[in-house]
Amino acid sequence: MEHRESHWIPGKEEGRRLESRVLEERIQQAVGNGRHFLKVKAYGQHGIGGRLWRAGTDPVYLEIHGSPGQRVGSMGFPNTRIEIMAPASDDVGWLNAGAEIIVHGHATNGVANAMAQGKIYIAGNVGARAMTMTKHNPRFDPPELWALGSVGDYFAEFMAGGIAVVCGYEAQDPANILGYHPCVGMVGGRIFFRGPHKGFSHVDARLVPVEDQDWEWLVKNLRVFLEKIDRSDIIGQLSLREQWQLLVARSHLEKGIKPRRSMAAFRQDVWAKELGTGGLFGDLTTLDRNPIPVITTRELRRFVPVWENRKSVPPCEASCPTGMPVHERWRLIREGRVDEAVDMALAYTPFPATVCGYLCPNLCMQACTRQTANMAPMDVKQLGKASLDAKLPQLPSLTGKRTAIVGGGPAGISVAWQLRQKGHEAVVFDMEKTLGGKITSVIPKSRIPEEIIRSELERVRSALPHVHLQQRLSREDLEQLKVDYDFVVIAVGAHKPRILPVPGKERIIPAIDFLRQSKQDQGKVGRRVVIIGAGNVGCDVATEAHRMGAEEVTLIHYRRPPASGEEKEAAKAIGAKFCWPCFTKAVTEEGVELTTGEVIPADTVIIATGHQPDVDFLPETVTTERGFIVVNEFYQTTDPQIFAIGDAVKLGFLTDAIGAGRKAAHAINDILAGKEPRGDTRQVIDYSRVKLEYFDPRLMRFDDIQECAEQCTSCGTCRDCGICIAICPQGAIRKKENGNEDFEMVVDPDKCIGCGFCAGACPCGIWNLVENEPLV
Amino acid sequence: MSSDGRIAPSTLSVKDLPWQIHWDKDKCTLCGHCTAVCPVHAIELGVYRKRVVKTSVGLKETPSNVYQVYHGIRQKTDPAYSCVGCAMCNLVCPNDCIMPYRSDEADKLRYHINRGGQPRRRGGRRNVPGGILDQIKFIRISMLTDPALDAGRHEFELRTLLGRILPPEENLKLVREEGWIPPVREIYPLIIGAMSFGAVSPNMWEGLQMGVAYLNEELGMPVCVSTGEGGCPPRLLRSRFLKYVILQIASGYFGWDEIIRDIPEIKEDPCAIEIKYGQGAKPGDGGLLMWHKVDKLIAAIRGVPPGVSLPSPPTHQTKYSIEESVAKMIQSMCMAWGFRVPVYPKISGTTTALAVLNNLTRNPYAAGLAIDGEDGGTGAAYNVSMNHMGHPIASNIRDCYLNLVKVGKQNEIPLFAGGGVGKSGNLAANAAALIMLGASGVQVGKYIMQAAAGCLGSESDRCNICNIGLCPKGITSQDPRLYRRLDPELVAERVVDVFLSFDTELKKIMAPLGRSTSLPIGMSDAIGINDKAAAERLEIRYVV
Ligand SMILES: Cc1cc2nc3c(=O)[nH]c(=O)nc-3n(C[C@H](O)[C@H](O)[C@H](O)COP(=O)(O)OP(=O)(O)OC[C@H]3O[C@@H](n4cnc5c(N)ncnc54)[C@H](O)[C@@H]3O)c2cc1C
Ligand code: SF4
Ligand code: SF4
Ligand code: SF4
Ligand code: SF4
Ligand code: SF4
Ligand code: SF4
Repeated sequence: MEHRESHWIPGKEEGRRLESRVLEERIQQAVGNGRHFLKVKAYGQHGIGGRLWRAGTDPVYLEIHGSPGQRVGSMGFPNTRIEIMAPASDDVGWLNAGAEIIVHGHATNGVANAMAQGKIYIAGNVGARAMTMTKHNPRFDPPELWALGSVGDYFAEFMAGGIAVVCGYEAQDPANILGYHPCVGMVGGRIFFRGPHKGFSHVDARLVPVEDQDWEWLVKNLRVFLEKIDRSDIIGQLSLREQWQLLVARSHLEKGIKPRRSMAAFRQDVWAKELGTGGLFGDLTTLDRNPIPVITTRELRRFVPVWENRKSVPPCEASCPTGMPVHERWRLIREGRVDEAVDMALAYTPFPATVCGYLCPNLCMQACTRQTANMAPMDVKQLGKASLDAKLPQLPSLTGKRTAIVGGGPAGISVAWQLRQKGHEAVVFDMEKTLGGKITSVIPKSRIPEEIIRSELERVRSALPHVHLQQRLSREDLEQLKVDYDFVVIAVGAHKPRILPVPGKERIIPAIDFLRQSKQDQGKVGRRVVIIGAGNVGCDVATEAHRMGAEEVTLIHYRRPPASGEEKEAAKAIGAKFCWPCFTKAVTEEGVELTTGEVIPADTVIIATGHQPDVDFLPETVTTERGFIVVNEFYQTTDPQIFAIGDAVKLGFLTDAIGAGRKAAHAINDILAGKEPRGDTRQVIDYSRVKLEYFDPRLMRFDDIQECAEQCTSCGTCRDCGICIAICPQGAIRKKENGNEDFEMVVDPDKCIGCGFCAGACPCGIWNLVENEPLV
Repeated sequence: MSSDGRIAPSTLSVKDLPWQIHWDKDKCTLCGHCTAVCPVHAIELGVYRKRVVKTSVGLKETPSNVYQVYHGIRQKTDPAYSCVGCAMCNLVCPNDCIMPYRSDEADKLRYHINRGGQPRRRGGRRNVPGGILDQIKFIRISMLTDPALDAGRHEFELRTLLGRILPPEENLKLVREEGWIPPVREIYPLIIGAMSFGAVSPNMWEGLQMGVAYLNEELGMPVCVSTGEGGCPPRLLRSRFLKYVILQIASGYFGWDEIIRDIPEIKEDPCAIEIKYGQGAKPGDGGLLMWHKVDKLIAAIRGVPPGVSLPSPPTHQTKYSIEESVAKMIQSMCMAWGFRVPVYPKISGTTTALAVLNNLTRNPYAAGLAIDGEDGGTGAAYNVSMNHMGHPIASNIRDCYLNLVKVGKQNEIPLFAGGGVGKSGNLAANAAALIMLGASGVQVGKYIMQAAAGCLGSESDRCNICNIGLCPKGITSQDPRLYRRLDPELVAERVVDVFLSFDTELKKIMAPLGRSTSLPIGMSDAIGINDKAAAERLEIRYVV
């Protein structure tokens, strides 16, 4: 049953304050007993008036006198109405779930903290952190907090719902009725306030106009509020619409957009304005500093490809003393121009068949790039042999300039040959009966068929009509030549044997003498032959001695024998023995006595330790050193009118002698034309630029010059294979015809990205990727 | 191998290299992007010959041999072109088929990067990942014992003081007597440390300055940046942005005649003057800006002719004792701006830091001391200096701070710590740890390069080619073809991002400590470490 009369519950008993727990029990008990109108005299007890659920749906009215403690009405129920007749302590209506709480005075900190339903009416000012963490559960009406005066600092922190009304009447701080830093973290709810404020969290909340329906609500409920706190008298004062403002929480969408100036705008409006156009460095540089992509074209490429066709010399040509452009000949053959390939040789040598085909150790082949990968080198011997049929080109008419050449060996013939091709008259003098020097006189017949030499010498004779044989020139003759000719070239070879200063030296036969005789099938050898000096000449002597009937042939040398190539193989084939180190002490009837006391039995002893030129006839203006003539890089002697080439300068191969002749002829031609003589300044191509992977490594023999030509990588000279055009990812390369079968590969800078694929793929090493020109 | 198949002592295989390129033939479209972008030309197009021997089952037919040729990406093994692991190739590869992988064992290249007797030089920092700063924990969580703070919502005072702070009595006395009071700046505790114009590219430099200006003017964060030793562009000197700038003077004195001549035109005092005596990455070693980096722009700013190498000697000339070094130099620099600008020295971490500090405490003109620890970055140094020279920053700053405490001057002369702050990406935690160990603020360089410009460098020796002008990100190159990859505006934006997120993170650390009204400088009761020896050494709590 319901008891309408009020029921007093004192907070003190027998002069002693009741514990909060006991008071709570008594209140709950009273409500349970149907007492719904309670008056409590409070003495600071905690949490009075909350959780009065025992009344069911019946309303419960609680009037609190004295001073309640913290959290009055906390966890209040919707049926409960609490009226505090005095000021209230902290956390009024904490976690309020529906109670109506009226405070007839001020309230300290934490009012309505975490309130979700119900209403709190405060007749005065409110302390810090009021209306914080409040919620609005959509199942119920939003909670409300009404404060007649002002609110303290950190008001409405994390407010997530509900309505707060701050009337600003007789505020504690009339200049700021919302306290310091309100609305931080506010995500929901609305705050009506009347009076000045000192800012709120703009990130979280914003001011909105008070709309008509808001105003209607406010005025209606303001009346209720004032009635509850018995201040209906000031309704007129408080209901001036223009005095009211409304704060609402920003939505998460609004919060996402931070009202910040964009960097672009800052750069333009602040940065450049203060610094000037071009920014920080605009006054110091006009360089474009605007952003660019990572992969770039044109002048922005870091690297650019360069088509370096024929810029460097292939290893074959570079290592050939004659300077034969072997690869060009292979190219001509690939192009089906075999005749041209063959004839081309004559521009470089008068003896393409004799030398390239037979007598040359083929330095070009030794250097061939293919060798670096253990692949068979280009077989230039085949090409050499095919050159026997080479046709002499049309000779130019004579310029009137004349050169005398002393010595008609390969060196002398080469220089004459070259000079004649340049239109200068060349007159050759030789003391022998035949032209050709050592080729004709001493190199064994076994090395080369005689008709080859004859045939090539005939070709020489057809180009050089002025040959004076059996003319041993003296010093006076030479002086006369200097007067009669523009230049004199000394090409006398080296024919003076080096004699060992040992007892019995008169028993030793010089190699040259021996070979010269054997070539005529003359001269005799004993059964046992010892050859002092185991070089290639020694080997030739050994094979010839064997041919002449020697049974035991021994070559001795003071160190490891330098013999190599075909000569060495031939000597070994006839069973010649190589002994070293051997130092000859004497030559006796028994044979060769060594410094060790050992005697190598010999019937014939031949010396092949090299020869020296006979330079007695040279004028004093020509300096010699250790018996050889001193020359500069153009084979000019210390007498500028006299050149010297071949073995007379330095012992070497035929190709060395021929090459020297060619270079000397170039120099003479340059000087005659009034120019400084020029050498070849081209670099040899780096092997690593050539790509042998395109070729079959198992091809070890070439059946004919055609097959051979296909396998030449053409180091440094474009094969026109089209690989670069095909590989370029940008399609930037095209072939440009320049007429006369001349062409070049050109790159479109608008397309090229400088990837270097062309350089990586080119079999011939033509493309080079170089750093682009600096931009600064 | 050389092309003729020979090997030399320094002939290496891919296996010997620190970074090995894995390339996927199936996926590659041979677009050429990777070879075009590779900064060091470590890769090229290769021609491959593939052999297939065709044999029939049962050997019924005569076996045949077929060769095919294909093209692909090949890694060079010449030490001069060894891959630096930057992965730019991967970045530009449209088909994701190329990637550098770190060798699974110590590389052999390291024994050969000294061609011509020239030891290895590089950029970056000490090639040792991690460090003590990452191990320091913030253990004082005072949510109940102090008012609870929320990092995201509450206001925090994060500013720090740069300048000589006099004791209050003295200050008041001077105010009364209208005497000289040392200048003090309120600055943000995260300072962008010295990266000279020249070491970094114009676009990078402008981006940093722009970001700093934005932070100051748009967001009210008093962030400042040191110029480094390469001088200061005249436009910056004459702008109001100069007040965010710490002008550095180092042993090379580059650009200082230009600065002096500009003094009459300067409308705002700079934030401070930093006198550089040492750098953590290469203590006791000078700098050398190679002639090829000295283009017209750098030359103009440094006040030298273009195309000459610019050495900064290891030491300042004309200073023969610590007293001189400190007193003479500080006095001169104070005088330059009429004693209105704080002047402080920067030294490399060293056991002698205490001696320097003691000296500074007696010098009323000394505005602070910056110490750069062994993990500091550099644009160019000898590998040996970077990897093995220098003092760790934590104990160095701690010793200095405790020494100040001993003489009662911890609130008077601020210490700034640098070198490896944020090395593992933990910028705020490292900064907070240093602050609680006693630093008033921290300086960062490498972190900014990484976070604001995408620097690829790492302590696993990735990239680190800042010294050769080929920076693939355009950060440390003077070649417009490279530095134009970097948009100053985007760098500035990233600088802003870095500071804003740092700000939140620092608050996240400070809030639970219950600190919001001032930086927790020297608040070492809030930190701990689970390494007993380190705890003892740093005089902080040992926690397990
Ligand atoms: C046995 C032997 C085998 C060789 N085998 C090979 C080989 O297989 N492959 C190879 O590449 N190289 C070989 N050589 C080297 C090659 O012979 C020489 O390099 C080359 O002959 C040098 O040519 P030359 O014109 O300078 O001298 P020579 O060929 O000696 O010609 C000099 C000419 O000058 C003449 N002469 C000398 N003095 C005078 C004078 N005062 N007045 C007028 N005329 C004079 C001589 O009669 C002679 O005809 C061999 C050398 C020898 C000795
Ligand atoms: S491959 Fe051809 S071009 Fe190259 S070196 Fe050999 S012959 Fe000469
Ligand atoms: S392959 Fe094409 S894109 Fe690459 S460098 Fe050569 S021309 Fe330029
Ligand atoms: S790839 Fe072929 S066509 Fe292109 S430059 Fe090289 S050789 Fe000539
Ligand atoms: S990782 Fe860098 S250095 Fe290595 S190949 Fe790729 S781009 Fe070149
Ligand atoms: S970038 Fe990728 S797809 Fe293009 S060539 Fe290089 S590896 Fe191949
Ligand atoms: S990206 Fe640039 S700055 Fe970073 S490590 Fe590489 S070269 Fe140095």
